[in-house]
Amino acid sequence: MKILEMKHIKKRFGDNEVLKDIGFDVDEGEVVSIIGPSGSGKSTLLRCATFLETMDDGTLRYMDRNIVTSHSGHAVYASKQEIKTAMSYFGLVFQNFNLFPHFSVMKNITDAPIRIQKRDPDTVYEEARALLKKMGLSDKEDAYPSQLSGGQKQRVSIARALALKPKILFFDEPTSALDPELTLEILKVIKELAQEKMTMVIVTHEMNFAHDVSTRIVFMDQGVIVEETTPDLMFHSQNERTKAFLGKYHIG
Amino acid sequence: MKKFLRLTLAFLLMFSFMSVFSSVEAKDDHVLTVGFDQNFPPFGYVSKGKFVGFDIDLAREAAKRMGYKLKLQPIDWDSKDMELDSGTIDCIWNGFTMTGRENKYTWSKPYLNNRQVVIVKKDAKIKTLKDLKGKIVACQKESSAESALESKKYTTLTNSFKQLLKVADYNTGLMDLSSGGIDAIAMDEFVAKFQIKDKTDTYRILNQSLSSEKYAIGFKKGNTALRDKVQKQMDAMIKDGTFNKLSKKWFGENVASQSDASTSKNATSLIVSDLKQLGTGMLTTLQIFFLTLLFSLPLGLLIALGRMSKHGVIKNIMRIYISIMRGTPLMLQLLVVYFGPYYMFGINVSSAYRGIAVVIAFVLNYAAYFAEIYRSGIASMERGQYEAAQVLGYSPVQTFFIIILPQVWKRILPSITNEVITLVKDTSLAFSIAYAEMFTQAKALAANERSMMPFVAAAIFYYVFNFIVAAFMEYLEKRMSYYE
Repeated sequence: MKILEMKHIKKRFGDNEVLKDIGFDVDEGEVVSIIGPSGSGKSTLLRCATFLETMDDGTLRYMDRNIVTSHSGHAVYASKQEIKTAMSYFGLVFQNFNLFPHFSVMKNITDAPIRIQKRDPDTVYEEARALLKKMGLSDKEDAYPSQLSGGQKQRVSIARALALKPKILFFDEPTSALDPELTLEILKVIKELAQEKMTMVIVTHEMNFAHDVSTRIVFMDQGVIVEETTPDLMFHSQNERTKAFLGKYHIG
Repeated sequence: MKKFLRLTLAFLLMFSFMSVFSSVEAKDDHVLTVGFDQNFPPFGYVSKGKFVGFDIDLAREAAKRMGYKLKLQPIDWDSKDMELDSGTIDCIWNGFTMTGRENKYTWSKPYLNNRQVVIVKKDAKIKTLKDLKGKIVACQKESSAESALESKKYTTLTNSFKQLLKVADYNTGLMDLSSGGIDAIAMDEFVAKFQIKDKTDTYRILNQSLSSEKYAIGFKKGNTALRDKVQKQMDAMIKDGTFNKLSKKWFGENVASQSDASTSKNATSLIVSDLKQLGTGMLTTLQIFFLTLLFSLPLGLLIALGRMSKHGVIKNIMRIYISIMRGTPLMLQLLVVYFGPYYMFGINVSSAYRGIAVVIAFVLNYAAYFAEIYRSGIASMERGQYEAAQVLGYSPVQTFFIIILPQVWKRILPSITNEVITLVKDTSLAFSIAYAEMFTQAKALAANERSMMPFVAAAIFYYVFNFIVAAFMEYLEKRMSYYE
């Protein structure tokens, strides 16, 4: 079953055409990594999928619901209610964590499920504790984000996204703000999620990680998808642009 | 939350309307509201917490005989015409010089002859008016001494001064004279005598005097009906000796020294009543302070949101509002709010409006400053906070009140503290519409006792108040720093 279907996505900022008629689908259980040089449009694609950017044209479906349709060259968004439903299907992990600094770790994770999804607080707290345990942060539930390391912050933000029980989890360069040691912490968590068959889309510069964890890799450059294939085929690609890009990384 | 903001607005509106309506009701035909400068002994001033003076006694007796209730309304002398025109007072009965103002008011018959005299320091070398050449001479703003010195008759004399300084009240002038800031003060003879009666070793009155003039009761131009009623009683009082008796009480030598004796005898009770008077002023100041914060903090937020609105019209209205409120003096805004209803819309306001006007003006002014502080705080919030909240499903309103505003509060608290401390001191500006807060009371007391002590007491009060405010804000800051 397709969780996300995007077709003919176009997006420009002023004169800069960032997404040039892109199609992008994600099946249930897939782990898709999006790689590519800076400015290739991979983050913009993710932000269009999560409604942080408004696309100019194209169609978008979540769980077979039409959320964005295309009418005479313009993207038309569905009702607020439909978008709200669509938003309940996904979670997003930011590069800069974006935790709420005035909330404790526990409240960061539980506020939205209780306040927005109106779920039973006791159940939510119980699930949150289980998530924190899984993230190795059981002793941090009363801490504030400022008291945590970058890696801990990112694990809290992953827990926060998971607490809403999304069907798909997006990561926007989840390790770019972290040093190599802390990066490993996060990659380990994502790998564990992959083993649990969590559907994920990861924008990343960690090529070894993308190779190890992904079921599919998408290579983007200058607003188009250059190549889209399995990790093994991607890292042995004959495409000149792919080779040039991957050549800058030590793959091993 | 929207509801709360709406409530706040409704409150403010109600506040202003109530005052307007109550004014219509309160217009009682059988009340005589006498306006006077409470810093003007012996005609009208504060002693032991009560309004007393020669003119006060006259007015009380006249009102009694007319079967009217007497209401004594202290005013700021500079605003006397506005007070009279807007109907907040019925007449000015306060050693009020008729000479030179004959056509500006409807007058009673004059009841006192008064000369303008000049007070100098006892040891000064000034003997005659000519000796004032090159000296700094003070007079009260809007007083008859001022009009005399500025009349054609005294052009040469006035031009010979180094400077003609206009002070807000006699007491300030006398303090200035003692400290050497000025060389002489011109004022009404009766006032001068009263002012220096127990300080003849410090001050002296020049033998040469300025013009002579007449004191009368001033009514709003055209209000002959009330004038005639009062005049009838004045005539009767002069005829039956009441006027003479009062005149002896206030200006006769025996009586004057007696009142001095009683002052020293009752020294403790005087201090108690002084403290009581300062205490009332203090409470009024606290009231202005808390009401201003209560309304201006939410209103400021509303204005900040309007200012940041995507709606061009709202945005520009708020921008202009802020610009006017920050760009004009608060004292001017007080005058506009208080006198505006009459001068702009012809609405007669009640005396209860005085306090309401103070709060409205302070709220409107401080809301503008708070709005800009809120705006800077809101603008400093990272975009990521909004994005994270959006992705988690918070609505824009939830995002603002649950995620953004609590963080903004923490960031802007130091700037808010600054404004709050300024507010404590700014409350003293309410004196400009003669609202009896701390500073107005201290000024009145200082005039009555010819002493600096009330000002010292006021200074201590403001300092201690601010000290507490600062400590409280620091406590708040600490409490909010549980994170970061």
